[in-house]
Amino acid sequence: MDHTEIKVDDMPEWLLENENYISSAEKDTFVNKSILSVFKVLSRIKKQDSPGETGSQMNVPLQVFGTLVLILLVSLTRSFVFVIIVNVWLLAVLSMTDTTRMVVILKLSMSITFFTAIVMLPAFVLGNIYSSIMITTKVFATITAMGLLSHSTKWSALTQALKRFHVPDIFIFILDITIKYIYMLGEFSLNMFYALKLRSVGKNCSKYSSLAGIAGTVFLQSKEMAEDMYHAMECRGFTGEYHLNDKSKFKWRDYLYIGIIAVFFTLFIYFGRV
Amino acid sequence: MIELKDVCFSYSDMIALDHINLSIKTGEAIALMGANGCGKSTLLKLINGIISPDFGSYGFHGEEVTHKKLQDEKFSKLLHQKIGFVFQNSDTQLFCSSVYDEVAFGPRQMGVGESEVEHRVNDCLALLGIQEFRNRIPYHLSGGEKRKVAIACVLSLNPEVLVLDEPMNGLDPKTQRWLVDFLKKLNKAGKTLITSTHNLELVHEISNRAVLFGESHTIVADMLTEELLKDVELLKRVNLVDTCYPYKVQPYI
Repeated sequence: MDHTEIKVDDMPEWLLENENYISSAEKDTFVNKSILSVFKVLSRIKKQDSPGETGSQMNVPLQVFGTLVLILLVSLTRSFVFVIIVNVWLLAVLSMTDTTRMVVILKLSMSITFFTAIVMLPAFVLGNIYSSIMITTKVFATITAMGLLSHSTKWSALTQALKRFHVPDIFIFILDITIKYIYMLGEFSLNMFYALKLRSVGKNCSKYSSLAGIAGTVFLQSKEMAEDMYHAMECRGFTGEYHLNDKSKFKWRDYLYIGIIAVFFTLFIYFGRV
Repeated sequence: MIELKDVCFSYSDMIALDHINLSIKTGEAIALMGANGCGKSTLLKLINGIISPDFGSYGFHGEEVTHKKLQDEKFSKLLHQKIGFVFQNSDTQLFCSSVYDEVAFGPRQMGVGESEVEHRVNDCLALLGIQEFRNRIPYHLSGGEKRKVAIACVLSLNPEVLVLDEPMNGLDPKTQRWLVDFLKKLNKAGKTLITSTHNLELVHEISNRAVLFGESHTIVADMLTEELLKDVELLKRVNLVDTCYPYKVQPYI
């Protein structure tokens, strides 16, 4: 870099002096918490796509089918024993997953079960003890089953599985694009929060209008991205059809899984008759 | 001024910075170079106090910047005033309803009077030649104009260090040239410049010292920019250029 011909005469004086600024200790709790929560979501999505993460080792369409059957059976059964057996099975599967994943799934299941229990409390007090406990345990089983499915399967594989079940293409596309844009816009808003934090060097009297500005910019950005994608789709000759490129084959694990689902189906009929 | 000793940082299980040692003196103009994903942007985030090292130490003006200290609002706000960060994507930096408010955002928080705020904003707008945009919505400006507004926002805080992440990206040649001259002027005025860039044509104009990152997320060279640009083998080794470097303009046949 050559400085010989550069003049700084047009620089304002205050910019040439060092700032004697004494910062205030005003807390930016909301910004910090927002950064943390967006960061958590982004790392979860990124973790699913990291090279080390192979996702489910089972056939995904089968896993989706099995989970839906299990949820259906749990919803239809009147046998408390059957629900307990399903819960024990789900907890056994959960215990075989890694600790972080187990904690996340359990946290979600427990919190939703807790709120269900609160909702069922009046029925419990009025004497419908059996139904209240039954519904609460059914909720626990359903959420845990869904948690296990979503945490053990990549989202891209899930959308492909939906195609196998002849779910309309437009639905799959919307789901696929939503997941993609949650990540992209999440990253964008994370950077905006970082910028807000870096520029918040003192007392911000209009904190909430800054946050509204971030929300507005993210909205405008999403609109722009949606328009760009629409044009790109048109240019690439998009016909609205979602092509399946799944060449996965059945392995011994998949046959074992089919067997387990069959056992649950038998148990469902058996306890239904008892 | 800035002292990084044996700094390591990783995202989950992915290493981004591996045992980085770097010392930057007041008034220096440094370029961070390296292939995509080698850790330049992470280092800039660390210098700005967005993240803190997993291992090693980061010192600013002799004071160690730790995770605990960054939790202290008073300390982190002072650090953010002293080190200004110009993001790669200017859109992420602009969130106010007008260019004027955007540039006034920082000074208003510093507790200076409204007349001083206006004085600073006018100076910054004039310095960057964007006076006519003062009442415009930042989002609707062009890429180059947004970059100028983003720089004005940071300058209005009068930081000692200016950190720029790929400032030339997406700018037309004229604006790039303008930015180079402007950065030179800022450096001459005493501001320390840390710029991450891939622009091999302009890097020697905005820095006199270049820090080269390898794909192993370590610093592989720290030397004069002119010398680094001559070391073609080294640039090839870090995957920054290919065998055609130094690139020559050839007519299309």
